[in-house]
Amino acid sequence: MLAELINPYYLQVGCFILINIILGISVYITLSTGQLSLANAGFMGIGAYTSALLTIHFELPIIIGIIIGALVAALCGVLIGIPTLRLQGVYLAIVTLGFGEVIRVIFVNWESVTNGSVGISGIPHIGREILKTLQGFGFQPISIGLQNNQFIFLSIFILLLLITIFVIWFFRRQHQSRVGRAFAAIKLDEKAAESMGINITYYKVLAFAQGALVAGFAGAMYAHILAYISPADFAYHRAVEILIFVVFGGSEVIWGPIFGAFFLTLMPEVLRFISEYRYMIYGLIIIIMMAVRPQGLIDVPLLKALSKKGRKRGQKHGTGNHKSM
Amino acid sequence: MVLEITKVCKNFGGLSALTDVTFSINEGEIFGLIGPNGAGKTTMFNLITSMFTPTSGQITFKDEDITTMKSHNITEKGICRTFQNIRLFPEMSALENVMVGQHSRTRSGVLKSVFRTASQKKEEAKIKDIAEELLDFVGLSTFSDVTSENLAYGQQRRLEIARALASEPKVLLLDEPAAGMNETETSDLFDLIKKIQQKGITVLIIEHDMPLVMKLCDRIAVLNFGKKIAEGTPFEIQNHPEVIEAYLGKEEEDQYA
Repeated sequence: MLAELINPYYLQVGCFILINIILGISVYITLSTGQLSLANAGFMGIGAYTSALLTIHFELPIIIGIIIGALVAALCGVLIGIPTLRLQGVYLAIVTLGFGEVIRVIFVNWESVTNGSVGISGIPHIGREILKTLQGFGFQPISIGLQNNQFIFLSIFILLLLITIFVIWFFRRQHQSRVGRAFAAIKLDEKAAESMGINITYYKVLAFAQGALVAGFAGAMYAHILAYISPADFAYHRAVEILIFVVFGGSEVIWGPIFGAFFLTLMPEVLRFISEYRYMIYGLIIIIMMAVRPQGLIDVPLLKALSKKGRKRGQKHGTGNHKSM
Repeated sequence: MVLEITKVCKNFGGLSALTDVTFSINEGEIFGLIGPNGAGKTTMFNLITSMFTPTSGQITFKDEDITTMKSHNITEKGICRTFQNIRLFPEMSALENVMVGQHSRTRSGVLKSVFRTASQKKEEAKIKDIAEELLDFVGLSTFSDVTSENLAYGQQRRLEIARALASEPKVLLLDEPAAGMNETETSDLFDLIKKIQQKGITVLIIEHDMPLVMKLCDRIAVLNFGKKIAEGTPFEIQNHPEVIEAYLGKEEEDQYA
């Protein structure tokens, strides 16, 4: 029964949706202090390569690799966050975009370590490791009616789902607190925020580091799910893809990038013929959104209207259900 | 002597905005800073709050040199300001604006905020209480949920004062608080500033509304072209020849005209 419902392909798409949601959130965090960072594809790459290399060469457990990968990315976030403090808007976007390219070029050219543009294969796979560990305790997937293959993808999906929920929970709580108010104040008026006693240097670098940490984490997960990474995975295209989640979904509330990542990852899978024209469609989306709805599809007034409607009808519906998660 | 400005100069490129300005403010008084447009009054505020650093000179607060201190540290020491062109956080509610003002008096970091420890919850409740109290103090308690950009002009000015008061300042700097207000609003503002003084807060005010300044201030300093031309009680200032000249021009010129 369960076995028929679980299709590894669907689960894999689900995993990509979750990873993209985490990436979308990473841009949202930095953006919630008013800083537009396009370096998150680079941070993702740093997390992925760090974790992949550590687990392959030093045979560290995957979890340690992922944690170190995310931390190294966060450290790079601090290193790029400090010198770019004075930059805003387009200028910051260009510098961070440049940083992402530098990272990619390093991956391509540092062949002795990164294997160049060929990429790294044979990265330990999270799902298989989980299965192996559980088999060590005498567990067999067949006992709950699953093939090994199904179980592997199911375990990754559940793990990612839990992590994604934790990330959303974490940043929603942070948003509704002293730190979140400081972020919002800096975004709305930096000078006024500073004269209200907010240390803008600290909070801007904090936001940059948090964004990098989350992106690096997503990258490390990505490496251990695909078991293969190459510099092309973390190139300019990826940076734009992550950005588009936020542009499309909205950057004012955390549900914006979540919805954007969900919709735009699912769309090319559901409508196969679209996937070839993906980047064309992304370009169109940017132009249309900037002209018609620069704050993204989901903004604060929409959420308020939806929650009112939901309460009135006493039922959840469509996207409203998704957002009130 | 709570705030002392000693021989402060500020040059912007070749232009000198302030030259050798010296004055000091006693604890608990309302001190007025007046002068024609472009005299350097707001520049003085920006120097006191370290948004700019002076080219030379010294600013001390309670015998501590704060000339090169960072803006947010100065707020923490107890100096907070409002802005001439209102700078509220436009998309936040009135209450949230005031809550941001409490930032330097509270401590919760990321982990405490996310895991909602007992001390964080207590702090958050305290922040809200103080913010509501202050909204009440400036007469905006019925507007606490209104987005600040939707408030009327005079209300925005008062909200800015509440936000500054939330940082529990010892010295409050008000930059043209009565600008754009009608007579009733101005007289409410007068009462409000007097109430702030009664709380034991020293007030330094820039204002163009002369009747208000004369009624309100204990002492006044007058700036013209970046130089201090007079200092004294409202009565002394009103009869000071140089001040009259700065505002009205020389008498001879009137005769020729």
